[in-house]
Amino acid sequence: MATDVLIVGGGAAGIAAAVVAARSGCSVTVLDNGTAVGGQYYRGAQPPDGGAGLSYDALRRAFDDLVADDRIDLRLGVSAYAVERRDGGFGVRTRGDDRHRSSVDVIDAGAVVIATGAFDRQLPFPGWTIPGVMSGGGAQALVKGSGVLPGQRIVVAGTGPFLLAVAHALISAGGNVVAVVEANDPLGLARHARSVLPAAGKSADLAKFVASLAKRRVPYLRRHRVRRADGAGRLKSVTVSRVDADWRGISGTERVLDCDALAIGYGFTAQTDLAGQLGTRMRLGSDGGLAIEVDERQRTSIAGLLAAGETTGIGGVDLARMEGLIAGVAAVEDCGRRPALSEVAIARGMRDVQNLRGFADALHATFPVRDGWREDVDDATLVCRCEEVSAGTVLDAVSCLGARDARSVKLLTRAGMGWCQGRVCAPAVDALCGFDSAASLIGGSYRPVAVPVPLSAIAADRMSP
Amino acid sequence: MSREAAQLPGSTAPPIEFDFDGTTYRAREGQTIAAALIEQGINSWRRTRVDDQPRGILCGIGVCFDCLITLNGAPNVRACVTRVESGDDLRCQEGTGYGD
Repeated sequence: MATDVLIVGGGAAGIAAAVVAARSGCSVTVLDNGTAVGGQYYRGAQPPDGGAGLSYDALRRAFDDLVADDRIDLRLGVSAYAVERRDGGFGVRTRGDDRHRSSVDVIDAGAVVIATGAFDRQLPFPGWTIPGVMSGGGAQALVKGSGVLPGQRIVVAGTGPFLLAVAHALISAGGNVVAVVEANDPLGLARHARSVLPAAGKSADLAKFVASLAKRRVPYLRRHRVRRADGAGRLKSVTVSRVDADWRGISGTERVLDCDALAIGYGFTAQTDLAGQLGTRMRLGSDGGLAIEVDERQRTSIAGLLAAGETTGIGGVDLARMEGLIAGVAAVEDCGRRPALSEVAIARGMRDVQNLRGFADALHATFPVRDGWREDVDDATLVCRCEEVSAGTVLDAVSCLGARDARSVKLLTRAGMGWCQGRVCAPAVDALCGFDSAASLIGGSYRPVAVPVPLSAIAADRMSP
Repeated sequence: MSREAAQLPGSTAPPIEFDFDGTTYRAREGQTIAAALIEQGINSWRRTRVDDQPRGILCGIGVCFDCLITLNGAPNVRACVTRVESGDDLRCQEGTGYGD
């Protein structure tokens, strides 16, 4: 089948892009690997009435109407595993969800919008493989998507404002949050007033989350880090301590927090696989992670390929929505049509993107990842969870076997060779080995198949000549 | 034995039943397999092939593949992004998962 605009990912960015493209008269197909649109933050929640203009709620209602009118072809439970250039456009290869993973298809598209979001960045520490330790995004998915709390006593830890959003979601669902453990000092945000003021609404969100913690007397432990997790087969406690500005533990400040769930994350990693398959130009985001390089219209270095949301640099749902709008405009233009959004609205949207990107940069400067976490990683700590490769093995590959890049470490140790294809361990391998992160990240992020597909399904698929 | 699961907020659908390692549990329509198990106090459903260690969810959003489970005889199903369905026979996944 063929479509003018194919949007991969039905989160805030994908919804906004789809509404603009469909209203402009383009045929639009939206893929999402989940069971509802809304992405990781909004999940499937139905939008309340109210919220006008280009707010998320208004766009979500418009999206639902366009789907009902068959002007957006929404395909849930569908993942794009590969994209190739084809006849002036793109061929996007898809597969079904895990119950239907042999159900493959190819969609021809004139323009493609990559809006595939991001996932939590993890740093290894002793005990991080004990069941009960999960990402902040995973805890959010449990509570918002399935109405289930991750445990009876929950510690939220890592760095960044997202920890506050996770704690707020857990508390709102009646969860017992023991503490929020933040490795940086959020007060540093005050130094970035020039970037914060134009995005005052975002600061208000953060203030609301902090107030939610204070109301329940949940301690917000700043300049603290989880040093280890303990429990035989299930989580029983975590040890936290104060840390210095470089995240090194301050001895004598350790304390044990009893808990059966730890929701942890140190920022995010963007899902850039599809863009990487086409050789799209990448850049390092201000958080040190890989991002798709885009111009002010969200155009990538590949004609007809747009990117929006976390894939262009981690920045949160409001930035994702505005980038999605602009990407939708560009996709419409690339299909040779006039966008159904006024020049004034487009200009305002691009200014919002700039302001929100500035705010995101201020947050990244306030909540960086410092090197001190490495001191807790002993030789036995697993770095690659899929292939069960320890830090000692990874470091031996460098010191004894002469590995000088992540690819060599992977070939020598299997770190990054498993199911997740290095998505989880790559930042840790690079940091522990001291590899140049830009080259190593770009090299390690090339994944010709973005989601595992059974060989039998690929063999049965009609391959293009 | 069948343990109760509360209704999802706003849901009026009757609870559904599934099996995990031979025991019958109840879940709510729309919950993921991981959520349904965690609600029952079960937080691991895989044993790793090298060290035989228990694993449950890590990323929780379909990226890390730590939460693989055997569903109706098929291994390597992501419990965190797959909704539980009535009559599902779930088994702890052990070893390589090559049976797929």
